Amino acid sequence: MSLLDLKLKVNGKEYQVRVKPHKRLLDVLRDDLHLTGTKEGCGIGECGACTVIMDGRAVNACLVLAASAEGKEIYTIEGLEQDGKLHPLQEAFMRHNALQCGFCTPGMIMSAKALLDKNPHPTREEIKEAISGNLCRCTGYQQIIEAIEEVSRLHRED
Amino acid sequence: MHKFDYVKARSLEEALTALYQGGEKACVLAGGTDLLVGFRAEDARIRHIELVVDIGDLTELAYIREEAETIALGALTTHAAVAASPLIREAVPFLAAACSQVGSPQIRNRGTVGGNLCNASPAADTLPVLVALEAEVVIRSLAGERKVPVSRFLKGPHKTDLQPGEVVTEIRFDRPHPRSGSSFIKLGRRKAMSIARLSIAALLKMGDGGLVEEVRLVPGAALPVPARVTAAEEVVRGKKLTRELAREAGEKLSQEMVRITGQRWSTPYKMPVIAALTRRAILTAGGLEDVTAGSEA
Repeated sequence: MSLLDLKLKVNGKEYQVRVKPHKRLLDVLRDDLHLTGTKEGCGIGECGACTVIMDGRAVNACLVLAASAEGKEIYTIEGLEQDGKLHPLQEAFMRHNALQCGFCTPGMIMSAKALLDKNPHPTREEIKEAISGNLCRCTGYQQIIEAIEEVSRLHRED
Repeated sequence: MHKFDYVKARSLEEALTALYQGGEKACVLAGGTDLLVGFRAEDARIRHIELVVDIGDLTELAYIREEAETIALGALTTHAAVAASPLIREAVPFLAAACSQVGSPQIRNRGTVGGNLCNASPAADTLPVLVALEAEVVIRSLAGERKVPVSRFLKGPHKTDLQPGEVVTEIRFDRPHPRSGSSFIKLGRRKAMSIARLSIAALLKMGDGGLVEEVRLVPGAALPVPARVTAAEEVVRGKKLTRELAREAGEKLSQEMVRITGQRWSTPYKMPVIAALTRRAILTAGGLEDVTAGSEA
């Protein structure tokens, strides 16, 4: 089995990695790039804890081979903060207590970001649909939905 | 995690060559939402795979087109793209409905219609619809191209007619008649992110006076392979559609399911439920009463 030399673009930066072919994007993000915000909750695409944005769409990083991710634009939770300033979604999540243990949170926020990037003023139903692939065992989802709603309202006031 | 060698195809020809050389030890990678789960589980079905041929970048295989009343889906079209397509929503709404209910948004952004077909799960969401549409599968290899009706392409649970060296490139079907109605209903353990416990695809062509000119009924997660249940279709074909007739067709489909699969542990649940789903789908597709929305659903 030969190693692969891959060029990955993550959060606007280019990285060069050499990995075994079976390594998933999730593995490379966490183990090679040390971007540990993206979590492995199930490894089979059923919990959404590993959600990242690839070419503008929310995907499960546990189901994408690192090799498949070459040539794509990938954004993780670490990419949301700009010059030390948190993204409105991150601030809203804190304000609304939309996290407790925090394990689902990076994936949840990335799903929300993917939604708002395409649909800045979603309905409550659209928000629920956008996070329907992200499980949370702590909050009961209400605060998460309200945090996302607040950010979508902020956009409207711009 | 199963270990393998990997090649990213930069063209269909490159993919076909790699698959030909790899023979039975090579497999196609498209969206990866089924394959990677299998690799992680070191599934017996794919433990022999030594080479993964990634066709995910072959954007020329992702399209939704209509040419002279035939709708063609490139095999790499994602479920999300089908669900959002204005053409599919207008011409084949029950296909958009099926694709919109596969897995989760993340899964739908990667999973493809070609992959759903080739994985051939008895519970697959798109397959009852494709069988009801009498879709055709277009397959390419170095030897050329062949076409197979989807009902013949599906051979058994997780078994298709796909041979080593072959790739599904397109799924095509006739645009349903303007006087057709369709319905797809899926029941899962959850409202989202679930595998179908039971589903039904119904396509009806209505004539004057509420007459059912043509009907196709295909249950999902009910038979080893999604297939039309013609005995149930006969109950309504050529007759004026009534709620009673729809109920009867549902009962008949339910009995056929048991006749084909035998009594299973799930039968006491599945029998009345598939009968009800079938009844609702027939009525919705026939324009009599839409019970797939709201609390009655």
